[in-house]
Amino acid sequence: MPDPVLAKDLVKVYQGKVHAVNGVDIDVTEGELYGFLGPNGAGKTTTVQMLTGNLRITSGSATVAGLDVTKFPLKVKERIGLVFQEGTADPDLTGRENLELAAALFRVPIRETKGTINGLLERLQIADAAERLVKTYSGGMRRRLELAVGIIHSPSVLFLDEPTLGLDPQGRAGFWKYVLQLRHDHKMTVFVTTHYLDEADEMCDRISIIDHGKIVASGTPSQLKDKLGGDIVTVRPVNKTGPEVEAILRALPAVSSVSESNGSYRVKVPKGEELIPHLVDACTRAGIALAGVSLKRPSLDEVFLEFTGREFREDEGMNATDRAVRIGQVQQAFGRARR
Amino acid sequence: MIRELGALTRRELKRLVRNPQAVATSLMLPILYLLLFGQAFDLSVAFAGTGPEGQIRFLEVVRGAPTYFSYFSAGMVGFVAVTATLFVGANVIFDRLFGVLKRTAASPATATSIFGSRLIAGMIQPVGLAFLVLGLAVLLGHVGLSGLQVTSSFSVLGWTEIILAILIVSAMFASLFLAIGFSIEQPQSYFAVVNLINLPVLLTSAALFPWGLMPAWFQSVTSYNPVTLAVNVIRENLFAGASSYYPYGPAVYLGGLTAWAIAMFIIATYLARRALAPRV
Repeated sequence: MPDPVLAKDLVKVYQGKVHAVNGVDIDVTEGELYGFLGPNGAGKTTTVQMLTGNLRITSGSATVAGLDVTKFPLKVKERIGLVFQEGTADPDLTGRENLELAAALFRVPIRETKGTINGLLERLQIADAAERLVKTYSGGMRRRLELAVGIIHSPSVLFLDEPTLGLDPQGRAGFWKYVLQLRHDHKMTVFVTTHYLDEADEMCDRISIIDHGKIVASGTPSQLKDKLGGDIVTVRPVNKTGPEVEAILRALPAVSSVSESNGSYRVKVPKGEELIPHLVDACTRAGIALAGVSLKRPSLDEVFLEFTGREFREDEGMNATDRAVRIGQVQQAFGRARR
Repeated sequence: MIRELGALTRRELKRLVRNPQAVATSLMLPILYLLLFGQAFDLSVAFAGTGPEGQIRFLEVVRGAPTYFSYFSAGMVGFVAVTATLFVGANVIFDRLFGVLKRTAASPATATSIFGSRLIAGMIQPVGLAFLVLGLAVLLGHVGLSGLQVTSSFSVLGWTEIILAILIVSAMFASLFLAIGFSIEQPQSYFAVVNLINLPVLLTSAALFPWGLMPAWFQSVTSYNPVTLAVNVIRENLFAGASSYYPYGPAVYLGGLTAWAIAMFIIATYLARRALAPRV
């Protein structure tokens, strides 16, 4: 049995000239929660649309749920679930009627339809609103209904395209709770696109970052963060400062750099948690009393900007401070967008 | 296939029932026509006092109908088939805007059932409305206004032909509007195109205009209009002796109408399939 999502050299060219996706390889293993990240217009949705049989592939191949997407698009659609970034439920029907329609379209056996729908309504906490028209639903309820529609036929692979876009933090947390539950109970493989990096960091087993239609980085969230040169361990000595302390810190295993600022030392190291016992030990032996030690991992935001933040790459001459300020500005902008 | 077609058709009909304004709007126009134009353009007045010769001429003008209003109200059924099916195409546009069409297209449902369900819903509404219009037209005669006078005696075949004519002309126009709905993305463009088609189709039909007052060249153009073909079937069956004013029997007109419907169906299914296939 091939992997649930397998794409080789996937290419999408619009109108013979716009290369929206340009040679993407994807290999998602069974039961994995795979994150597909990228800035707006990077090619995320185009890729999902090709993998789900809704957009013709220009070249390359894609096998989803064991079937060639180009040859058997309808069969692929039967086996997968797809939650779109925008609402697709019929606002003039009730929640239950939307699910009944989806059950018929996705060929849920008639005998099982009622039980499946009731189960989903309960589980996604929309049972109380089941008989209400969808146009009266809140944003969070609509997203949960979209999820219910997407999984009504217990698909083996679930595609989520920006599923939490526009939701408040509670709505997002709630949505993910259900996805993780479903994944656990049904051993579903989940392919999610998002640009909420905290979500991807927390939820995904593996991540690929796409930009300009090409995958620019792949790996587990921690592997990607390690690519940035590791963690920052900050040490605040009480009784000693200066070159002596710096030399002791620099001599610790795997340390790549040490810098001092306002009496605190920033130690850059691939795996911060492994350094801390050695660091405390070395300081104790050298008679350095410590007021505190803290560990900071680089966030996925920084990884994302490292691989996709083109404005920084273009400005080679920018110094570290300017760079940090610019990163801060972009992060703030991201934060605003999320809110 | 049958299950998804049934589920999708139920959905279309539920939406129709839940939007009584839409049904009321479709009825509004024919009612206004019946109350205003049908009453005002009473040609009988023009022929009053013209003696037996005038009466003969009058019957030629309205092709054997007992009154102009009777001729006119039978024609309104053809009119309703056009105005009521217009919504099926508009619904495609709105479903596309609301993402509903995207969801359906992403399901394993075939393009045939997605198109077919909308076509069936598009045929059911006009049949209901047509009978409401006919009933109202008869009723008007009992409240002191001009009313529809059904002068032929009841026959199962006759009414079967009438229902078939309404169903087939509705299928033809539902296909036409679905074809436009599946090919156009913007609501405003849809309504612009539909208006461009609507009025000329109705104005070149014999739905409202007295047949005998048309110049010969216009009569020959009108003869091929699908609305004319449908109202011919209705008028021949509603009015005793009307058949002698028509060169062919209702079956021939039904045949012509079916040819129109099949042609439009083929074009529309092609366009719907194209719109629902994986995008290029």
